[in-house]
Amino acid sequence: MIKLIEKIEGEAKLNFSFKDNKIDDVNVDFMSTRHIEDILKGKSPLDALVINPRVCGICGHAHLIATVRALEDCYDAIEISNKAKIIRELTLNFELIQNHFKWFYLTIFPLFGLKQNVMKAVTPSQLMAKAIALFGGQYPHTSYAIVGGVVCEITEMDIIKLQHYIDETIKFFENNVLDVDIQMFQNCDNVTKVMSQRGDLVEILKLIEINGWLDYGKSYDRFIVFGESSYFTKGKSIKTRVTNNLFLEDIKESEATTSFAKSVHYHGKYYEVGPLSRAMVKKTALIKDAHRKYADSIFTRILARVCEISQLLLHTELLIKELDISEPSYIKPKSDISSLNASGFSAVEAARGTLIHKVIIENSVIKSYEIITPTQWNLCGGVKDSKGVSQKAMIGLENIEIAELVFKSFDVCSVCTTH
Amino acid sequence: MSDRIEGVKKLFTSKSARVETNKGESYYLDLFERCQTRLSDLRASQPANRLDFSEVLKDNSIDRRDFMKWVSATTAMLMLPPMFSPLVAEAAELMNRAPVIWLELQDCAGNSEALLRSDGPKIDEIVLDIISLEYHETLQAAAGFQAEKQLEDAMATFKGKYLLFVEGSIPMGMNGQYGTIGASGETFHDHLMRVSKDAAAVVAVGACATFGGIPAAAPNPTHAVGVMDVVKGKPIVNIPACPANPTNMVGVVMHYVLTGQLPELDSLLRPKFAFGYRIHDNCERRAHFDAGEYVEEWGDKGAQNNFCLYKMGCKGPMTFNNCSIVRYNEAVNWPIGVGRGCIGCSEPDFWDKYAYERPMANAKIKAPAGGVEKSVDEFGLGLLTAAGIGIGIHAIASAVGGKKDDGGEA
Repeated sequence: MIKLIEKIEGEAKLNFSFKDNKIDDVNVDFMSTRHIEDILKGKSPLDALVINPRVCGICGHAHLIATVRALEDCYDAIEISNKAKIIRELTLNFELIQNHFKWFYLTIFPLFGLKQNVMKAVTPSQLMAKAIALFGGQYPHTSYAIVGGVVCEITEMDIIKLQHYIDETIKFFENNVLDVDIQMFQNCDNVTKVMSQRGDLVEILKLIEINGWLDYGKSYDRFIVFGESSYFTKGKSIKTRVTNNLFLEDIKESEATTSFAKSVHYHGKYYEVGPLSRAMVKKTALIKDAHRKYADSIFTRILARVCEISQLLLHTELLIKELDISEPSYIKPKSDISSLNASGFSAVEAARGTLIHKVIIENSVIKSYEIITPTQWNLCGGVKDSKGVSQKAMIGLENIEIAELVFKSFDVCSVCTTH
Repeated sequence: MSDRIEGVKKLFTSKSARVETNKGESYYLDLFERCQTRLSDLRASQPANRLDFSEVLKDNSIDRRDFMKWVSATTAMLMLPPMFSPLVAEAAELMNRAPVIWLELQDCAGNSEALLRSDGPKIDEIVLDIISLEYHETLQAAAGFQAEKQLEDAMATFKGKYLLFVEGSIPMGMNGQYGTIGASGETFHDHLMRVSKDAAAVVAVGACATFGGIPAAAPNPTHAVGVMDVVKGKPIVNIPACPANPTNMVGVVMHYVLTGQLPELDSLLRPKFAFGYRIHDNCERRAHFDAGEYVEEWGDKGAQNNFCLYKMGCKGPMTFNNCSIVRYNEAVNWPIGVGRGCIGCSEPDFWDKYAYERPMANAKIKAPAGGVEKSVDEFGLGLLTAAGIGIGIHAIASAVGGKKDDGGEA
């Protein structure tokens, strides 16, 4: 038994056991907790808007959006202006983009023997954080979304600034990540074409090829996406067969004995969540091509996440064009939320995959609050004969270094997971 | 009514925003000399890493002029006269001689996030890149045993010299088992005690590490406490807020490099250069407060015109921090800027006492007034002060006054 301690965004412990020089089993444990769900109990429903973003400093904005949607779901009907919807989606996209950049340069780079590039991670993520701050006031930990809309009153000037941040980020992408026009990358449906270009992405993908790692990281080839937006589609994909009917009541959480994180499954099965899942369900041509060639390996997973950066940047530009600033930012709900006895549910696509919030309001306070994070889907360990997604991907590998790469290709957000 | 008038008068003439910015010529001359000695000692010492500051600036296409602008701003922020500017510039270049160890305990990584990746003016970022971050759990590439060894090495090499930054609260419940670290399963508490033992000083960053933050909110399921509740007999600096403002973190490191000492602190161990200001006193919406113009409801005319958020529960009047001056994310914005109001996240027990959705007029807290020191030390946060009543009265009076337009009361 060899132990490895991961320190990525917080901490997770991996316990490996070997048989015949191959990884035979691995347990993933998360070692701290804050019991945020217990803190929420008995508090005013609106308090969740300020507490929940603080579950996570890495993807806290997804928690804000999940919270506000779960609270709004408690109403039979609630009107949200198109403007507020677009603004919420924009800020969420910016958080995804900056997470992807940071993961690529801070986490993935060193695993390939390249220098961890802090400045390359910082430059685009600062731009995206500024874009969030324009609407949200600060990043991390904004609470600008409220039940009924958003608080910010934006002006044309804000839009101009926003456009500038996006342009700069696109420029950064073209100058560093992939040396082609971002629009061309968007339309590209062939991995071979990407590999003939230059840029940090290609460098990483080529290293996977050269090192003979193209087979690593494969798991169940089952993907699931619950969050919907003007860009992401809900659905699941099993060996490229996509269905869009999902039932939330079929999501189940189960306690683990050694870890503070609960594992989560759909219909009794483990699914991968995240950019690769989103691309598979959305049938993004380039990722489908990579999947045809390399299945759900680290190659496809890394490409899918980087590819999502450019897709979201371009989609964001379209969203901005739809923004009508003369619409109201906030429409007062017909009744006060504390007068409801109801339950609400939301699913949001965070950087690492589907994030789910469930709230029950009773007698003006939160009766219960449940949070299921993306890392729980991907990284939590299964029981003996049914392995979790990342467990399955690591079993059979020869050494811990490769296992670490596979593990981190899913990306860990343990602070989220240990909420 | 005369009470009310007195209350309001006291509020607006109070010295709550007063920070001693001029300590006299002899003080500064003396300090200048000490700083010079400190910097020449540092220059003679071995750099902890080989990063060359001017090279890094050049790599990031920041010219000397931009750098000097930053130097002036930082000097002013540290409340030093302009003559210190060259020393501040020199200190920035010597940042690679300040060993820093960064621990993450019961946290959300939000301060690391704010500090090292998504916030802070570019040069702050570089200064922090240059500081010799000997150990940072999130940022370093090393993991597992390798990382633990790195920590041991850093602690031994820089024994008694390193600044220990701590992010996150310490769970004391269940014998500390709510949070453990490393293969040995050392509790956060033991980990902190071990690493803080040989630190020159401990800097608690963020609401959780300073006063317990969200994890300590009622019912505090894990019995989370702040650093100063467990670390004794060490100089401690608190940089609260959620997240802490990177500018203030840089300020503390700069001050340490420059003078070899910690900055002047208030009774809650917060550096005065940052927490000597009350949000309310420098708020861009303050004029609307004075004019009695409030947001009464989300999305109303007041909200559309950036009126004062006091009635929506803004805690700016009783929160000490420099957000209204330095703002967030390269000064792009701050919570009051978008109309959400201050939640008081840099104050002790911020959640239980300040919870956002409770408008202040109904909350059981009162605005401290009468000077920073006085308010915090003598009155205590929970105590009633004349100005506290004053604000409440003012808000009510203005609501009545607002009827004027309708041809009501004059």
